[in-house]
Amino acid sequence: MNKNETAELNRRDFISSFATLMTMLGGVELITRASAQAADLETLVPFQVKCGVICLGNWGREIIATLTRLKTAQLAAVCDIYPASLKRGTNAAPNAKGVDDYRRILDDKEVQAVVIATPTHQHREIVLAALQAGKHVYCEAPLANTIEDAKTIALAAKAARRQVFQAGLQMRSDPQRRFLLDFIRAGASGKAVKAHAQWHKKQSWRMTSPNPDRERDLNWRLRKDTSLGLPGEIGIHQIDAMSWFLNARPVSVTGFGSLIQWKDGRDVPDTVQTIFEYPGGPQLTCECTLANSFDADYEILYGTDAAIMMRGPKAWMFKEVDSPLLGWEVYARKDQFYRETGIALIANATKLANLTEKATDEAASTSSPLYNALEAFLTNVNSVSTAVEDFTANFGADDKAALEKYVSNIKLQPAAGYQEGFEATHLAIKTNEAVLNGGKVALPREGFELT
Amino acid sequence: MNKQRLLLAATLALSSLSTRAAEDWVRYTAQPAGSQVRVDGTSTIHDWSVESRLIGGYVEFDPAFNLDHPAPGKVNARVAVLIPVRQLKSDKTAMDTVMYESMKEKDHRKIDYRLIEMTLKEPPKSPDAPLLFDTKGELVVAGVSNVIQMPVTVTRVEKDKLKFTGSTAVKMTSFGIQPPTKLGLFSTGDEVKLSFEWVTAKKEAAAK
Repeated sequence: MNKNETAELNRRDFISSFATLMTMLGGVELITRASAQAADLETLVPFQVKCGVICLGNWGREIIATLTRLKTAQLAAVCDIYPASLKRGTNAAPNAKGVDDYRRILDDKEVQAVVIATPTHQHREIVLAALQAGKHVYCEAPLANTIEDAKTIALAAKAARRQVFQAGLQMRSDPQRRFLLDFIRAGASGKAVKAHAQWHKKQSWRMTSPNPDRERDLNWRLRKDTSLGLPGEIGIHQIDAMSWFLNARPVSVTGFGSLIQWKDGRDVPDTVQTIFEYPGGPQLTCECTLANSFDADYEILYGTDAAIMMRGPKAWMFKEVDSPLLGWEVYARKDQFYRETGIALIANATKLANLTEKATDEAASTSSPLYNALEAFLTNVNSVSTAVEDFTANFGADDKAALEKYVSNIKLQPAAGYQEGFEATHLAIKTNEAVLNGGKVALPREGFELT
Repeated sequence: MNKQRLLLAATLALSSLSTRAAEDWVRYTAQPAGSQVRVDGTSTIHDWSVESRLIGGYVEFDPAFNLDHPAPGKVNARVAVLIPVRQLKSDKTAMDTVMYESMKEKDHRKIDYRLIEMTLKEPPKSPDAPLLFDTKGELVVAGVSNVIQMPVTVTRVEKDKLKFTGSTAVKMTSFGIQPPTKLGLFSTGDEVKLSFEWVTAKKEAAAK
C-alpha cells in the first residue's frame, strides 16, 4: 500500500465518521450503517405531541401505524363514523380513545394536533373546525376537490398563525428529495430540458363493502363528483415534486384519460397521460395507470449535463459524456440499467465513503415518506406550541403582532404548508379538468395565488 | 402599651418609606422583539451554535442613578434575566435534543441570571455614547449556580429603550453539564461563549 492509498483510506474513514456525526446531529438520514450508529439518540424522547387521527380507512390506519412508530407522537384519539373501521383503528391504537364524531376530538383540550385522512371532499368542514378549535392540522393532499374549498382551507390556515398547518405532500419532507433539490439547484444536471413521471400499478382501487350505502362511501375515489382521480390521488405528489425541482409553475396542462381495464361503473379514468409546459420550454410528462404495473413508479429530470432518476428513496444520475467532471462520482457506487450506468445519489453523497460500497437493493433511507412528513409535522407542532407558550409566559398574549412575528421566525422542519398545498391542489384540479375534457387548460399565474 | 403603639407606628412609617423607595425604582422590562442570545461552542469536528430570540426579565435602577448623566462607580441596580432553554435552537433538531438532555431541560426549564453588582467603568464620552459596565452576577444553568463576571454595554436605542450587550465564556462542566461526546467519534469542547443583545423598555416603577 503506497502513501497515497493510505491517505485516501484515512480520508474515507474520516468522511465516514463525519457522515455518522452529521446524521446524529440531525442531518439527513443516510443508509443503514449511519442510522445504526445514531441509535442512542433514539432512546431520547424530546417531547410528545398528543394527536388525533380522523378517518380510519386504509390510509388512516397507515397513519396510525406510522404515528405508533414515532416516539414524538402520543396517539390520544381516533375517529371514524363506520363502526368496523373504528374498531380496526382502536385495535391498532389501543391507548387511543375511539370516537365516532370528529368534534369530540376537537373538543378534547388535551389533543394538540389532528391528522385528517377523510375523503378529499370532506376536508373543508373538518379542517376549518379543527383550526377554529385551535388544533394543529395535517391535512392529506389534495386539500380539496374544488378550487373554492382549497382556497378556503388555505386562507384559514394562513390566518391561524399560531398553529401548524401541513399539507400531505410527503415528498416535501423527504430528506432524499431535499438533498436532490440542492443538488439540482446547484446545477449538477445542467439546464433543465424536460421531466417525466410515471406511476403504474395494476389494481382496481375498488374496495369491497357490505351494502350499497357503504359501497358509495368507501369507493368515493371512483366517482368524479368526489374524486380528482389519478391526477389528484397519485399525480399530485409527482407533479408537485417535479415543479419544485424545476423551480417553476407550469403555464398549461394538456391531458388525456381512458377507462380501459376497470369498467365497473366508475366514471374516473384508469389511465391518464398529461403534459405540462413550463416557462422557458421544459415540459413534464406525467402518466398514471391502474391497468399495467410495468416499471412501477419513478420520476426523471433530464438536464443538458445529466438525467436524474428518482425511484422511491433512491436516485441515480446518468451523465452525458461531455458533462463536467464533478470529482466525487469517481468513487461513487454505480448501478447498471441495461446499457446505462447510474451513479447512486445518496444524501450527502459527495461526502460519503459508503458510496464505495457494492451496489445493493437496500433502500437508502429506512423511513417512509409518510414517516418523514409526520415526523416533521410533530416537530413543528412542538416548536410552535412551545414558542407560543414561552412567549406568552414572558410577555403575555396582548401583543398579538409581536407573538405572531416571534412564531413566524421559528425555524421549522421542511414541510408543505398551506401555500404549497393550495398550489398542488389547484394544479391537480386543473389537471383532472384537462384529463376529463381531453384538452389543454391554461394555468395563469394568478390561479396559484392566494387572495 | 404606649411603647408598643410607638413601635407599631415607627414600623409602619419605615415600611411605607421602604415601599415608596421600591416604587421609585425605574424599571425596564424585556421586550418581545429585538433580543437575541447565542451560545457558540466547539467540537473535534466543527464549531456549533444555538440561539434564541426570547429573553425575559427586567432591570431596575435606583432613582439616584441618572442614565443621562451617569457617574462612574457602583450602580444600585437589580437585574433578573430568564431564557427558556427549549427556545435555544440550532439548525439540527437532533442536536437540540442532545442539548436539552444535557441541560436537563425537563427539570430546569430556564437559564436564570441575577445581578450581584454593576459598576460603571467611565463616564460616557458623549450623550449618545454606550455605557460600559463591569458586572458580577449569578448564572443558573441546569440547576447549578455560578458567579460570573462580564463586561456589559448599555445603549439607548430609543427614548425609553435600552439595549444590553455582552458576552462571556463559561465551562459546561462548571454547571454540571458533561460536554456531549459520541462513541469516540467526536467530543465537544467544555468552554462555550455566551453572547446576547437584550432589549428592554422603560416601565413605571413596580411595587415590591
